[in-house]
Amino acid sequence: MKNTIKVERAKKNWTQADLAKHIGMSRQGLNSIETGKFIPSTVLALRMAKAFNTTVEVLFQLDDREG
Amino acid sequence: MEQSAKIANRNSIIFALIYGATYIPAVWLLKHHIFGQHVSIIVAIVPVITFSVFIVKLIKAYAVMDEVKQRVQFEAVVIGFALTALLLMVLFLLSLCGISKPGWFGYAELGGYCWVFYYVGWFISIKKYGI
Repeated sequence: MKNTIKVERAKKNWTQADLAKHIGMSRQGLNSIETGKFIPSTVLALRMAKAFNTTVEVLFQLDDREG
Repeated sequence: MEQSAKIANRNSIIFALIYGATYIPAVWLLKHHIFGQHVSIIVAIVPVITFSVFIVKLIKAYAVMDEVKQRVQFEAVVIGFALTALLLMVLFLLSLCGISKPGWFGYAELGGYCWVFYYVGWFISIKKYGI
């Protein structure tokens, strides 16, 4: 699973701490998601998409090998 | 949410310290047979109560963690439980062979190993998720 969280953050000029505060989680946890080490739940992905004013599909995409 | 997680986490640490502060003196008093049996039972119950409160606080802290931290705790408990079960099985099988070291593997020591295994699991998990 790949994501565009870093790109979306850059567009808004947000740090990881800013985004973490918006979606109500720890900065370390967000870093784990951003680096692809942890796949978030649907609720958290939707919350993240809402914070960026975008859709989950823009934020998260399946890898080629994942289908 | 982050604030409530911090408060819950702080509470669990405070109650862990309270538990430690009651457990160590209780063990010392019971080992030295300072009181009669009835008072000794009451002394033995005190750390049980403080440990129970600590566990409740720990579960409350888990409930308000974000999902990455919950996963870390979950994997730490799974690894800790599996290693403790493995140790118990090995000790049981060795006891059937007539090999036992009660000084190293008594009830108190097994409790300690259980926590050590939990921290092994926690360390593996935080490395895995990079937090």
